[in-house]
Formats: sequence, C-alpha cells, structure tokens
Amino acid sequence: MKRSTQWLVAIVFLVIGFMVAVQFQTTSHEAQVRETRDVWEVREELKRQQEQQQELLDKIAIADQTIEDYDRSSSRDQLETLKESIESLENKIGLREKEGKGLEMTIRPIFDEEAIGQEYPKISPHLLSRLLNELNTYGAEDVSIGNERFTTLSPIRDVNGATYVNNRPIGSLPMSIKVLANDAEKLQDYMEASPIQDIFNIDNMEIIFERKEQLVLPKFDEPLHLETLEEAGG
Amino acid sequence: MWLPLLFLIIGVTLGILTDIRIPDAYSDYLSIAVLAAFDTLLGGIRAQLEKNFDDTVFLTGFFFNITLAAVLAFIGVQLGVDLYLAAVFAFGVRLFRNLAMIRRMVIDQKLLTKFRKK
Repeated sequence: MKRSTQWLVAIVFLVIGFMVAVQFQTTSHEAQVRETRDVWEVREELKRQQEQQQELLDKIAIADQTIEDYDRSSSRDQLETLKESIESLENKIGLREKEGKGLEMTIRPIFDEEAIGQEYPKISPHLLSRLLNELNTYGAEDVSIGNERFTTLSPIRDVNGATYVNNRPIGSLPMSIKVLANDAEKLQDYMEASPIQDIFNIDNMEIIFERKEQLVLPKFDEPLHLETLEEAGG
Repeated sequence: MWLPLLFLIIGVTLGILTDIRIPDAYSDYLSIAVLAAFDTLLGGIRAQLEKNFDDTVFLTGFFFNITLAAVLAFIGVQLGVDLYLAAVFAFGVRLFRNLAMIRRMVIDQKLLTKFRKK
C-alpha cells in the first residue's frame, strides 16, 4: 500500500472514530433526566418534605396517644375516649356546629338603574363551585352556604334552574357565605384580589367581605351516605 | 496497519473528550453517516484484497456516500417518509455483502496456501 494511501485511510478512520464516539455519546446520554433545579428550589423542596414529615409525625403522635388511652384506661374511660374520638371526627367532617373567627361573604345583586327589564341575578352552580374552589385554595377550613354546611359530601346541583346545596335550594340573593379560616385577613386579601369578583360582576352580583371574630357555622344535618366509601387499609 | 488503528483510537478519544452531543433531530443523520462510513471502509478493504484499490475512488466514495445518505434522510424528513430507512437498508445489505466477500477471499487465500504446501 502506498504511503499516501495509508495516510488517507488513517484519516478516514479518524473521522469514523470521531463520528462513532459522538453517536455513542448522543445515545448513551439520552436516558438521563437533567437536574435543572437550583439550590433554592432544592431547599424549598427539602423544606416542604420536612414540613410534611413533621405533619405526619404529629398525626402519628396523636394516634399513638389515642391508642394509649384505650390501652391504659378502664372500660368507662375507654368509652370516654371513644366518644372524644367520635366528637373530633364529627367536628372534622362538619356534623357539628362550629365556631371560630373567619370571613363572612355576602353576595348581593348589583342593580343598574338605567337598565330596564333586567333579570334578577341568581347564582349558578358553576359559579358557586368556582367560588368554593377559590376559597379552598386560599385556606378556607369550613364553609357554610346560606344555612347549609358545606362538607366533602355536599352536592351543588342545578334543579330546574335553581341551585341546590345539600339537596335544598339556597334561596335567592342576597346570600351569605361563612368561612372559617386560621388567617381570615389573608383569605380576605386573596379573595379580594382574585378574578372571582369580576366573574360575579359579569353576572350582576357583587361580593362583600366582612371579617368576624365570632362566626357560627350550622351543622350538616343530612344522613351520611357512605355507600361508595371504603375502609382505608392499615 | 497500525496507522489506521492509531487514528481510529485518536478519533474515538477526541469524540469522547470533546463531549459533543447531537440534538435529537439530527441523530438520524449521524447514525446514517456512521453506517455509510463503515460501508466505505469495508468496500475499501475488499478492494484492497481484490487488488483494485484506488485512493480517489475510496475517498470520493466515502464522502459521496455520507452526503447521499444525509440528503436522503433530509428529503425523507421533509416529505414525512422515513427515507433514511432506505439508506440504512442499502448500506446494511452492502455491508453484509462486502463482509462476505472479504471472508471468502481470506478463506480462499488460506486454503490456497494450504493446498500449495501439500
């Protein structure tokens, strides 16, 4: 083989080697998911996880306490503990009246004096659901709509054009929605800044917020239908 | 013989050290180029064994094959037809054929030398 030919072949080999290496790298790095979070995001994630852990530990501690109460005490005390448990659970799901500080929201119609033949506004189920979603997003704990306690099982439905909550009509405006929250001021700020106001305004309604130190929420008085619920494992 | 091997190693090292990665969209082109390069290489070895190796043919074959493969892949992408598969197929078939011929020639040479010894 001539000298020049050898060099030629060698250079072709160089090119081939380079291409193969690049191809190999391209394919071998595809599977890796890149970590793109910066230090702050990682720290926030860590903090979140720690909070979650703390929360879980607290829950475990409470549950342990309950178990201990059952184990230690006489049958009468056990009954007490059982009653306490039931009471706290009923409180949690809204089967009892609840007092506390919170926000009272009054939904009122807006009337334009110029407009003739204006329909009296009414609150639609979609609007109500949206409002409740916003409230829950911003930290509402317990909610009552008019005279109905809103629980996890409460349906919001349209029945012949009227809005029903807990299978009873909510009635006409003005209507009051009571919300218990840890930080009512913050909730109010959030709600006042949220676009839900504008949405209500489109339908000729306005929301008036009033912070109260003492609010009483009615209890959920329907029987609980739990056919579709199952006991959690563990 | 050592020179191409040395250069192959240099090429691979360079490729790994430079840490170049081809975007997903172009990985087809590169894979087909690699295939074309292998095809040319085996063709060159075969020609060498058949004693009709020619630099110009080898070099033009190398670049022409790669270019054609890339163009085919490009057209395929534009038309939405996986035309690069055609190139893969063609090069694959040629690769096997060249290899088979090389094998046969090597075997023939060895057998012939054995017969002559007898």
